[in-house]
Amino acid sequence: MFIEISGLRKSFGQGESRVEVLRGIDAGIEKGEFTVLLGPSGSGKSTLLNIIGGIDSADDGYISIGGEKTRDMSEKALTLYRRKHLGYVFQMYNLIPNLNIKENIEVGAYLSDSPLDVDELLKALGLYEHRHKLPNQLSGGQQQRTAIGRAVIKNPDILLCDEPTGALDYKTSKEILAIISDLNRKYGSTVLMVTHNDAIKNMADRVIKLRDGVVRKNYLNETKLTAEELDW
Amino acid sequence: MKNPLNKRLPRELKSELPKYLIIFLFFVMTISAVSGFLISDNSLRTATEDAFSKFSIEHGNYEFTERSSDEDIKAIEQECGIRIYENFYKEELVQSLEDTTFRVFGERTEINLVDVWEGSLPSADDELGIDRLFAKNHDLGIGDTIRFADKEFRISGIVALTDYSCLYQNPSDMMFDNDKFGVGVLTKSGFDKVRDDHIHYSYSWLYNNEPADDAAAKTAAEELVAKLSAHGSIERFIPAFSNNAIQFALNDMKGDSMGIVIFLYVIIIILAFVFSITISNTITKEAGTIGTLRASGYTRGEMIRHYMILPMLTLTAGAVVGNLLGYTLLNDIFAAAYLNSYSLTTYETLFTPEAFVKTTLIPFVLMFFINLIMLVSKLKLSPLRFLRRDLKKRSRKKAFRLNTKIPIMIRFRLRVIFQNLPNYIMIFFGVLFAEFMIMFSLIFGPMLDTFQENTTDHLLAKCQYILKAPVPTGTEGAEAYTASSLRTIEDETGIVEEDVTIYGLDRGSSYIALSSEKGKVDISTAYHKKYGVDIGDKIKLKDQYSGKVYELEVGGYYEYPAIIAVFMDREELNGILGYEDGYFNAYFSDNTIEDIEEKYIATRITETELTKTSRQLMRSMGSMMIVFTLFGTVIYVLVIYLLAKIIVEKNTQSISMTKILGYNDGEINSLYIHSTTIVTVISLLVSLLICDRTLAVVMFQVFKSYSGWFEYVMTPGVAFKVLGLGLGTYLLVVFILSRKVKKIPLDEALKNVE
Repeated sequence: MFIEISGLRKSFGQGESRVEVLRGIDAGIEKGEFTVLLGPSGSGKSTLLNIIGGIDSADDGYISIGGEKTRDMSEKALTLYRRKHLGYVFQMYNLIPNLNIKENIEVGAYLSDSPLDVDELLKALGLYEHRHKLPNQLSGGQQQRTAIGRAVIKNPDILLCDEPTGALDYKTSKEILAIISDLNRKYGSTVLMVTHNDAIKNMADRVIKLRDGVVRKNYLNETKLTAEELDW
Repeated sequence: MKNPLNKRLPRELKSELPKYLIIFLFFVMTISAVSGFLISDNSLRTATEDAFSKFSIEHGNYEFTERSSDEDIKAIEQECGIRIYENFYKEELVQSLEDTTFRVFGERTEINLVDVWEGSLPSADDELGIDRLFAKNHDLGIGDTIRFADKEFRISGIVALTDYSCLYQNPSDMMFDNDKFGVGVLTKSGFDKVRDDHIHYSYSWLYNNEPADDAAAKTAAEELVAKLSAHGSIERFIPAFSNNAIQFALNDMKGDSMGIVIFLYVIIIILAFVFSITISNTITKEAGTIGTLRASGYTRGEMIRHYMILPMLTLTAGAVVGNLLGYTLLNDIFAAAYLNSYSLTTYETLFTPEAFVKTTLIPFVLMFFINLIMLVSKLKLSPLRFLRRDLKKRSRKKAFRLNTKIPIMIRFRLRVIFQNLPNYIMIFFGVLFAEFMIMFSLIFGPMLDTFQENTTDHLLAKCQYILKAPVPTGTEGAEAYTASSLRTIEDETGIVEEDVTIYGLDRGSSYIALSSEKGKVDISTAYHKKYGVDIGDKIKLKDQYSGKVYELEVGGYYEYPAIIAVFMDREELNGILGYEDGYFNAYFSDNTIEDIEEKYIATRITETELTKTSRQLMRSMGSMMIVFTLFGTVIYVLVIYLLAKIIVEKNTQSISMTKILGYNDGEINSLYIHSTTIVTVISLLVSLLICDRTLAVVMFQVFKSYSGWFEYVMTPGVAFKVLGLGLGTYLLVVFILSRKVKKIPLDEALKNVE
């Protein structure tokens, strides 16, 4: 397994207000798989993604990436791990507001020794003519495409997407999903996408369903739909 | 019901406690200092002004070479409409102190009355009332003795001679000197028993009808001196309005008061802008909430009041505590600073409302309006704009372009700089102001050193003896010359009248080589620089007493960089002044002249005499300069820290995001902190140039009222110190900010998502 999740536990708060968000998660993901983490609000899917991304830590259990356990990594090593292996896409894009579109993507490129070509990627994402604009001058879909561009420009091993279509309309959401799927195919990145949209599971290689902090289902899709074929 | 929004104020205060505490302490520090200063300044100034009538201070004084008869005095009084009072003094070297002159007066009963600080006025012939400051500088107290004119006197009282609030030995002196020159009073018979070798027939006068103002006093003085000259040979004539010994302290206190209040307002304006940038940042951060509140019915006024409360409370609290400290503790400290420079009369501390108005009400109004203007402008957008977080007044179609060949990290930094331009502009002004203060304080020492070096390195002779009569000497190397003193004429340059020493020399003098041809004069390089007079120009100088104006053509410069002087052929000078051929009244000599009786020597001009200006300035201003350096440094830290902190806070989410992307702390610092570093370093360098040029002008203005030429010098040492201090304090800020950046959590980027 490329990503191995074992006995992962995480809780927030203390005493009576303590909430156990992850209650012992075990799962595995192969390299290059497109995995969808599905579950209702509060199921722990974003927390799990954040722990995989090294921006949060587990109380118990571990995550191993390519045989290396993240809990054993120092803060510096975790930074290096994110730098070399991860790309992150959030629901709210989190673009740097005072950099233009191209520069936002270059911020990602800077971290890689062998980044993809920025202009080519801008064209592929349909952003080339907007490259000199600031994020607040673009639509939500364009901003999310920029966020995806920033994540994939360094050609990461793993692309983590946290509700990437959560703030987008139907049509734009499908466009974004298509882009992520294409990138997964084209560059072989392992994609982990958190969503509460049940329809998206149909385009994934693997589906992990969470509820109340435990894995309820973990299966491989035998047949996959394209983003265009999805409907909800 | 109270506005529930107010409940968040204590929480805001708690969460931003370091910021508010630093600003509060700075307000306390500044306001207490200014308040304490204004209280002491006002108390001492009032006492000094009241002294004119309380102690019957003269309207002027003159000195004749010979004593006037009673009939003569009556005749002058009638002719000139004045009352004349004998105010003779004897000037002797203090035998118990090195190189120190003491001027002693007889009992004063009608004019320039003596104020007693401690002890009592002398009642026996060997008792002395001594100037407070001179006594303090020489550790003399009641019961101690002092020896001059081969007599010993016991100090019976520590006093202030009210016509010597500032210890100027001569009205034409560049500077007062309360270390090497002192004054005191004896009883009438005690004074008579002191030898008459150095007696000065000085007369004070009071007008029967006092002139209404300085202009009228000037006219009256011009008329008076013309009439007096018919009654005797005038040695000195000095109306009170131009007598530094009477006026300097008062003028200085007035000038200081204005300067320090301006200093306070500049600081308040800088801090008001710091606050307005902070509030502006908070409004941007809370745009969604503000939009919701406005949409729910909260008025713009309520929002403005809400955001105004904490800055105004901080200032009010700072002003209250500052004034309390100023009124109770610091006024004594500042009064002591004045009393260490001037021989002022006793005084009472006056708690006037002036300090409160200047240090509390006016700063309050300044702070209120600067923040109000910012808030009104920021909050006039519609609730919808706030809800959409669209706070830009003008929406830009495109971001301005940066050449893509510039590496992304540099472009990133540039974007950070442009994004935070208001903060950086304020940092620039903060740095400029702080650097000006620091440079002003640091440049003072080198300027005085340069003056001292210029004086001592270019001494005309080891000693100059000014004689009362042309007496021959057999001293080896002594060279006779004619010395005279004329005055510059006040013109549109604003330089006040000052004495110019005219040296009449033999051609081929072994002390000074004249370079100008016959009929022309050499001027000192100090004259050339201060007045901008060049070779070929004509200078006009006047005789102070006769009013006669002399026009001289400049034919050369003589390297004499600190003193305003004219050098010319002796016979030509004698001719101009109406002296006989071969006349002289002074000697240059590198050896001590011992074969001339003391009574023929009017003055000895030595290195000590020439350098007393720089010594006194350093003594009076040295400690003040340290305070300036400290204040400047605190402003550096305060302004840079508060504004750079805002930049980091404003970009918290972006910083968190870059951390998630994999940027390490060093790289993040290089983006968000080094941008501030670039601006700070550029500000320091640009400010250095601006301050240098500004200080050259300011220092000219500061020193133009002093006789002589204080050359403005910006030494590399000062430049390095200013930059070093700026960079050193900035490193401290970098350290604090780096810790702040390091503490920004990775999940910050996941918060506040809308």
